[in-house]
Amino acid sequence: MKLSDGLIGSSYAVKEISLELPAKRRLEILGMTSDAKVTVLNSKKSGTKIIKVRGTRFAIGCKFAQQIEVEEVDKRGDMI
Amino acid sequence: MNNEINVAFIGNPNCGKTTLFNAYTGANLKVANWPGVTVEKKEGQMSYHNKKYKLVDLPGTYSLTSYTMEERVSRHYILEDEVDVIIDVVDASALERNLYLAIQLIELGKPVVLALNMMDIVEERGMEIDLHRLPEMLGVPVVPVCARKRTGLNVLMHAVAHHQNKTSDRFEHHHTAGSHEHSHHDEYAMVYSDDIEDKIDKISELLSVKYPNLKNYRWHAIKFLEADQEICKKYPLNLSGIADRSYEEDIINQRYDFIEEIVSEVLVNKEEKSQNTDKVDRIATHSIWGMPVFFGIMALVFFFTFTIGDWIKGYFEMALEWFSGASSEFLVGLDAGRVLTSLIVDGIIAGVGGVLTFLPNIFILFLALAILEDSGYMARVAYVMDGIMSKIGLSGRAFIPMLLGFGCTVPAVMASRTLENKGDRLRTILVTPFMSCSARLPIYVLLSQMFFGDGAMIAAYSMYVIGVIMAIVVAKLLSVFAKNKEENTLLIELPEYKSPNARTIIIYVWDKVRDYLTKAGTTIFVASIILWALLNFGSTGMVTDMSQSFAAEVGRFLEPVMKTAGLGYWQIIVALISGIAAKEVVVSSMSVLYGIGNIASQGGMASLTAVLAASGFTAVNAYSMMLFCLMYVPCVATIATIHRETKSLKWTLFAILLQLGTAWLCSSVFYTIATMF
Repeated sequence: MKLSDGLIGSSYAVKEISLELPAKRRLEILGMTSDAKVTVLNSKKSGTKIIKVRGTRFAIGCKFAQQIEVEEVDKRGDMI
Repeated sequence: MNNEINVAFIGNPNCGKTTLFNAYTGANLKVANWPGVTVEKKEGQMSYHNKKYKLVDLPGTYSLTSYTMEERVSRHYILEDEVDVIIDVVDASALERNLYLAIQLIELGKPVVLALNMMDIVEERGMEIDLHRLPEMLGVPVVPVCARKRTGLNVLMHAVAHHQNKTSDRFEHHHTAGSHEHSHHDEYAMVYSDDIEDKIDKISELLSVKYPNLKNYRWHAIKFLEADQEICKKYPLNLSGIADRSYEEDIINQRYDFIEEIVSEVLVNKEEKSQNTDKVDRIATHSIWGMPVFFGIMALVFFFTFTIGDWIKGYFEMALEWFSGASSEFLVGLDAGRVLTSLIVDGIIAGVGGVLTFLPNIFILFLALAILEDSGYMARVAYVMDGIMSKIGLSGRAFIPMLLGFGCTVPAVMASRTLENKGDRLRTILVTPFMSCSARLPIYVLLSQMFFGDGAMIAAYSMYVIGVIMAIVVAKLLSVFAKNKEENTLLIELPEYKSPNARTIIIYVWDKVRDYLTKAGTTIFVASIILWALLNFGSTGMVTDMSQSFAAEVGRFLEPVMKTAGLGYWQIIVALISGIAAKEVVVSSMSVLYGIGNIASQGGMASLTAVLAASGFTAVNAYSMMLFCLMYVPCVATIATIHRETKSLKWTLFAILLQLGTAWLCSSVFYTIATMF
């Protein structure tokens, strides 16, 4: 699934980032390496998210989130 | 050899690097730009144990690749210049991400000292960091500090003093990604997989043959594997058979693997209690409530600026009135002569003093902006506003410079530097002046209190709203006509919320207030004198009737043009022209032009209203003038900043004409429609 479809409170593992190289590298440098855990903290309808990666919160635009393939690892939609 | 020790401060954004840097240098620093780029360079000096230190604050960055300007600037400075010791400021509460930069810095092969900042937050959350194990694994000294509470500062400098000739020591790590031996790897903190290490060895060998003077083969070899454009271009090398693709992804992954290993060993009680930020964010960044919260906060900010600000302003006015009267009496007593008395009382005291009475409003506005910034809310604005901003072709992040524009356009235009995309930056610079800066506030306060009675606050607040709408319309038009339509996607760190730090806020507010005072002492002082001269002298020498003065002639010449906007009064035109020096001068000019001593007082306003009403200037004209003041040519300081940031005369002129045109058009349209009914 795409990160943009991620649910608030659920955690995902990053599988593939299909963005242009500079954008992909920027995300990797911030810790979104393959299999890194991403928790969705907040979300807008458009797919723009607030995520937590390696202890840091980021706001990430829908254009990026739509290009990040993730796999669900921990569903606790009721917690946050 | 130079006795001075060069210390470079580097760290991730939001790690408290600047607070730490300020703690050492205080206000005593030199601010300039890095050669060739518009990235700010801050330098300070200090002495410790009879040794002199030169401190340089490098731009905040997440890594040392060469993707952004900030990264390139930092990398160059460390590689080329004579940096003796690097202080890597690490946010201990976000250790995992911060260590990524640390590993890259250590690889550069220069002495590195890790300043572990925000230890208080770590403790607050019930976490602990193993300060014995961390230096063992990284091979560099680690000093816990708290920049906000100014603790650990001496210990950090002590470590710097003792570490300047050492690159690494005390390795006790067992990071074994490989299966076969690389004997010399004991000296490196970060050891990659066998595959990569073999390649590093091979490339290092090639480099040592072809470029025998290169300092750090290992680092350069890693850069070749990352396919770093800059290094590959600078040192051409044939790598066929060794590296025929970029290994950057593998390298990043392996670095984070090592970081995970470090974090799992040194971080105790990782299960954090940092729910407070999430709780606040649930409302502050809510998909529906986020925006009302933001506008509510802004409304509150301006409510305080008006009510409390005006209350204090009353006392400033009384003081000014007394001072003006006393000076006048004193000068008459001295037999100072009519010209000098007029210059001092009507020119300087009325001009500079009038502007000074607005100090409380400006102080409160900047105080509020400082609190929003320091608490961490400002970054959330980027997320909340992203939807709207992307519709007008700007990233959500562009809203922050625009928001700062409510304070002062100069720092706001400078803040647009944080945008990576050139087109995005230019559009933001062009629309930021539409955000109503604090210098325009005195004009709104004066005119709205004179003409709108109980609705004064709404009339003034509407200026801010119209400013935002104009910025949106203009940005949209600019993006439609933009040549290259690149996408701007939001990606911004949201720092933890924290209670604002008094010292940080005091430094910030004092900086702005000092700016405002300096402006009152220089620009406005000079503008007051020039204007006084223009108003009191005409082709026949000194004139008693202002309508015979030079200024009146210029104003009369422009009357037909401004008539469509309901501003065809030479006094108003002269006041507007003088406002180009600084917007708040419009107020002092009006007081001089209409000969009213204390324009901001009840009596002063009443007499000005009477004078204006007698010439047919009504509430409609007043609102039209407010609109014109909101949009017309920004002040000289802003024009200079736009020129500095865009580095283009063409765009600077475009900005001036854009604003002047919009101002004239909007106020004319408003006036024409409003007078129809």
